[in-house]
Amino acid sequence: MKLKLNTIAIGAALLAACGSSDSPGPLGNVDSLVILQRVARNDMGDIFQYTSYIPGAKLIKLSPPTADGTRTVLCCDKAGAEFANIDIQAYDISFDAKQIVFAGKLSDSDHYGLFLLKLEDGSVQQLATDMGRDYVSPIFLPGDKIMFTTNGVVKNLATDTSGAAIDPMPPQHVDEYERGTTIQIGTINIDGTNEQLGPRNLSHRTAPSLASDGRVIFTQWDHLGTENSGHLMFMNTDMTELREAFGKEGTGASNSTLKAQEISPGRFVGIATARNRTINAGALVDIRLGHVSKLDNGDVVANEAMSEANASYVMLTPDVPTDNSPSANTIGRYYDAYALDAKEHPALLVSWADGPVESSVLGAANMSADFGVYLYDTATLQRHPILDDKGTWDIFPRPLQTRTAPAVTSSSIDGTLGGQAMIGAMNVYESTLHTFNPGEIYGVRVMEGFSSEEGFPRMFGTTMFEGHANLGVARVAADGSWLATVPANVPIHLQTVDNFGMSLFNEPVWFSARAGESRVCGGCHEDRAKSTIINPGITQAAAIGPTNAKGLVARANRMSAVTDLSNANLIQADGTGADKLVGMAWDKAVQPIFDAKCTSCHNGVANSMNPSYQIVNPVTGASTTYTFDLTNKPIQMLDEDGMAETWPASYFFMAGPDMEAIEKNNLMVTGTPPCKTASGTPTLQCMLPTDAHNSPAIQLLNPTKLFPQPDAAVRAFTSSPHSTVGGYAELTPTEFYKLILAADMGLNYYARENNPHSSTY
Amino acid sequence: MKNIPKLVAVALTLFATSAFAGKGGSNAAIVAAVNSHSTDAIIAEVERAEGLICSDCVQTITNLTEDNRFAVREVAAWWFAKRPGLAKVMSDQMKGDLASGTSLQVRNAADFVGAIVDYTALPALRQAMGRSLDSEAKLAIVHAVGYMAHVDGNGILVTAMGDADPAVRAAAINAWRDILGQVSVAPVEQRLTDADAKVRAAAATVMGAYGDRNAVSALEQLVVTDKDPFVRRNAAWALGQIGSRDASGALLTAVNDKSGLVRLVAKASLARLQ
Repeated sequence: MKLKLNTIAIGAALLAACGSSDSPGPLGNVDSLVILQRVARNDMGDIFQYTSYIPGAKLIKLSPPTADGTRTVLCCDKAGAEFANIDIQAYDISFDAKQIVFAGKLSDSDHYGLFLLKLEDGSVQQLATDMGRDYVSPIFLPGDKIMFTTNGVVKNLATDTSGAAIDPMPPQHVDEYERGTTIQIGTINIDGTNEQLGPRNLSHRTAPSLASDGRVIFTQWDHLGTENSGHLMFMNTDMTELREAFGKEGTGASNSTLKAQEISPGRFVGIATARNRTINAGALVDIRLGHVSKLDNGDVVANEAMSEANASYVMLTPDVPTDNSPSANTIGRYYDAYALDAKEHPALLVSWADGPVESSVLGAANMSADFGVYLYDTATLQRHPILDDKGTWDIFPRPLQTRTAPAVTSSSIDGTLGGQAMIGAMNVYESTLHTFNPGEIYGVRVMEGFSSEEGFPRMFGTTMFEGHANLGVARVAADGSWLATVPANVPIHLQTVDNFGMSLFNEPVWFSARAGESRVCGGCHEDRAKSTIINPGITQAAAIGPTNAKGLVARANRMSAVTDLSNANLIQADGTGADKLVGMAWDKAVQPIFDAKCTSCHNGVANSMNPSYQIVNPVTGASTTYTFDLTNKPIQMLDEDGMAETWPASYFFMAGPDMEAIEKNNLMVTGTPPCKTASGTPTLQCMLPTDAHNSPAIQLLNPTKLFPQPDAAVRAFTSSPHSTVGGYAELTPTEFYKLILAADMGLNYYARENNPHSSTY
Repeated sequence: MKNIPKLVAVALTLFATSAFAGKGGSNAAIVAAVNSHSTDAIIAEVERAEGLICSDCVQTITNLTEDNRFAVREVAAWWFAKRPGLAKVMSDQMKGDLASGTSLQVRNAADFVGAIVDYTALPALRQAMGRSLDSEAKLAIVHAVGYMAHVDGNGILVTAMGDADPAVRAAAINAWRDILGQVSVAPVEQRLTDADAKVRAAAATVMGAYGDRNAVSALEQLVVTDKDPFVRRNAAWALGQIGSRDASGALLTAVNDKSGLVRLVAKASLARLQ
C-alpha cells in the first residue's frame, strides 16, 4: 500500500513536472475531475451489454486533479435510502457544469433509469422513463435535452387504411447472435417530458457522444449475414439522418470501435477492441474522419471531406491488442479516453488497467481488471497515474468545467408522410461499392428485417440471416432516381434488382428512418466527399411519386396471404401481383414449387438425376450419405437410435451444409455434389443467400423476364433452361420469383408466414 | 447429467449452421473457458462454436445446461437451438424433467426450453407450474414463458401471480407485459394491492404500459399513500402514461413527495395530462 501511494505521489510529481514554469500542463486549467467509481467486476458481457449490476457505485470529484487532491462524493450517499445499493453505468456533465445526468440502478429488481444530480445541493431526482425498461449511456444535448440508449421500443401509432395502428406494441429486437434485447437511441427533455424513441437498428446502438458540429456519434452493431461488427455512425440530435462515420467495409482498426469522444472537429479518440472478452476495453485510436489539417494554434482537425473513404486512424497504444487476446503486463487495456487538447499528440485522460485484461485469464485467477485514472501522453506513450482505488473501477474521468453547447441538428419532418418514412436516391448508379452497367437496374428491392423477438425459434434457417420481408421493388426512373415510402422505425435493407427480379448488388447493412423523415441519398453508397450531379429540377422519381413499400401497413399485415403464397400464377401478365409476395416461408412458398415441378424426378432415389455424396470423417471412418432430394422429407439419420427430424430435404440441399465447418474439421466430401457453379465446379450449395444471380439452381432453371411485365421469351442466362433438358412444365413467373426472393432474402426457412408462434399450444 | 447418444450427436452435428458469425471455436477452447470460471469467456467460446461440427462439444455443452449460472445455461441452450435435431432430443428429455424432476432439474429444463423457444413445451411448463417446487424453479418457468411470449402461456403466468413468493409474482407480472398480442391486463390489475411492494411496483408499471384507465383510481391511491417510494414512483409514471386528467390531483401531491424518485416523475406525468 505504501509503495502504491509513493508511486502515485511520484506520478503526481511527474504531473506537475509535465508543465514548465510558464506552462500549466494538460490539467493546469482543470480545477477538478469527476470520476465514476464502480465495483470491479469480470463479467460485463460483450461490448453492447448493459445490465451488469453490482451495488456500490459512486460519482466523486477530485480537486485538484491529482492523487493528493481532495475527494468529494457527489453521489449518492446523501441522496436517500433508496440510493443505498446503487450501481451507475455512465454519466455526463451538463454544459453549464451544474448538473450531472447518470444511468443508475437502485436494486436487483429495478431497471437502469436516468437521474439528475444537482451539484449545487447534491439533490438527485429520477427522470420519468419507462420503469420497466433500462435506460443507459445518457448524454446532454443542446436544447435542454438528454440522449440515451434504451431497450424500450418505439411505437408507431399512425393508422393504416383499416384504422388499425401500425405498430402499437412492437417487441424490441433481439440480437440474432448474442440474444440480448437490443438498445436503441432515444431523447427526453431535461425535465423528463417528451420522451422520444428513435428508429431502430436490428441490433444494438450504444455509447452516444456529442460532436462539435451538433451531431451525435455512436457505435452501431452491424449484423446482417456475414457482417458482424461494431462501427461508428452519426445521427442528428433529433435522431434523423443516420450516416456512416468509421469502420465499415474493413476500414476499422478492429472488429469494434466504441466510446468515441471528440478531440477536435472531425477527429475522435475511441476504443478499438473485439466484441467480447475484453471487459469493454481495448486500444486507443485517434480517428480522423476527413482530410487532416493543422490550425494556426497547433490544433489538428479532420473535418474536411469527411467520409469513410477519407477516414484514417492513428494507433495511440501500439502494443495493446485489438482482438480479444490477453494483454501483457505493463500494456493492459483502456476503458475510455477523453482528450484534453487537440494537438497532433493529444494529452488524454484515460481509464486503464494493467495486466491481462481478458475474461478467461482474469476468471481463472479469480481477479478483476483494475481500471484507474491516468494522464496519457500520446507523444511519449507514458501514463501518469492520478487515481486508482483497489477493488473499484475508476472510469470516465472528465473535467468539471463548462463547455460550449453546439447547435441543435435536425432534419425537417414531412408531416404529410404520416407514420411512414421516405427513402430513395437521386441516382442509384452512383456507387463506390459496385459498378453497374447503364440501364441494368430495374428497381430497388426494399426489405424489412426482424429477429427472433417476433417468436421465431432463435434462427430463421441455416444461413444466419435474420428474418426478411419483401416490402416491394421501387422502380428506378430513367434518370437513375427512385423513391419509396416505407414503415418508419424498422430496419430496412436494400438490393438493386434487374429485370428478372434478381439482386445485382446487396447492401449489407440495416438502416432505419423516423416517421416523417425523408432519407434520399445521392446514390447507392455514393462517394460521400462528392456531390451527386443531377439535372436541374426535381428527380423523375419525385415527379412520378414514391413507390408504396407498405409504409402504412400494420406490422401484422406485412406478410403474404396464404392463398397468395400457394398461387403459382399470382403475378399477372401486366406485372401486378409481385408485391404480394412478402415472406418466403419455405414450406408454404418454395416447397409447393418443388412438389409441382421437381419431385417427380428429384426425390431422393439414387440415380443419375439424384446424385449422392458422402461427408466422411477420415479419422473415425464415420460417414453419412446424402442423395439429392427436393421433397419435404426430413433428412433421415442413419443411426442405431432411429430417425431424427431436422430440416426438410429440399431446404438442406438448396442451402447446403456448412462448407467452412467441413473444411475446418478436416472432413471429406466424396461422391457427386448435386449442383454446379456457372464455371462447372461441383458444389453442395445450390442456392446462395442474397445472391440469386449466382445461385447454381437459379442459373440452371434460367428464370424468365419478370419486370416490368413477364416475358417468357427472355431468359436471364444464355444456357438452356432446365425445363428444356428435364422435359417438365416450365416454372411460372411467380414460381421463378419465389425462388429468387427466397435466395435474395437470405435463404431462410422461416418467415412471418410460417412463424411457429402463430400456432396454439 | 444429460447424455445424447454419441452416434446421433455426430450425425446431427453435420447439420451445423453456417459459421459466418461464430468462427474459430473448438471443444478445447470451450473447456478452457469453463475451467477459467469466467461467464463471459464461456459465452464467447460457445458463441464461437455456433457453426462448429464438433461431436465432443455436444457433451461439453450439454453439461453447461446444468451450470449454476443462468447466462451459461442460456448460451448452451442457444447452441442447441442452432441444431434443431439435437435441440429436439434435448427438449424431449427436458420435458420429462419438467414433469417429474427435482426443482433443480425443473429450473434447468425450463431455462432450456425457454431459451430455445420450444412452444411444444408449454403444456409441460403448465403442468410443472402446478407442482410443488422451489421458487427458483418457478421463476425459471415464468422466465421461459416470458421468452416464448405466447398467449398460451398466460395461464401459467396467472398461476404464478398468485404464488406465495413475491419474486415469482413480480416476475410473472413483468412477463405478462411482453406477451405478443397480449389481450388484457386484468390479472395484473389485481396485484396493485399486493402485500409486497415490488409486486405493486411491477403491477403499476405494466398498467401504465398498457394505458389501462381502469387502474387510475388504484394508481392514484398508490401515488399518494404507498409507503414504498418505488411504488409511488412507478404509479406516478403509470398515471402519466394513461393520461387521465382525473389523476392530476394525486400527481400534484406527488410533485412534493419526499423522495427524489417520485417528484420529477410526477411532474413530467402531470405535464402529459395537460
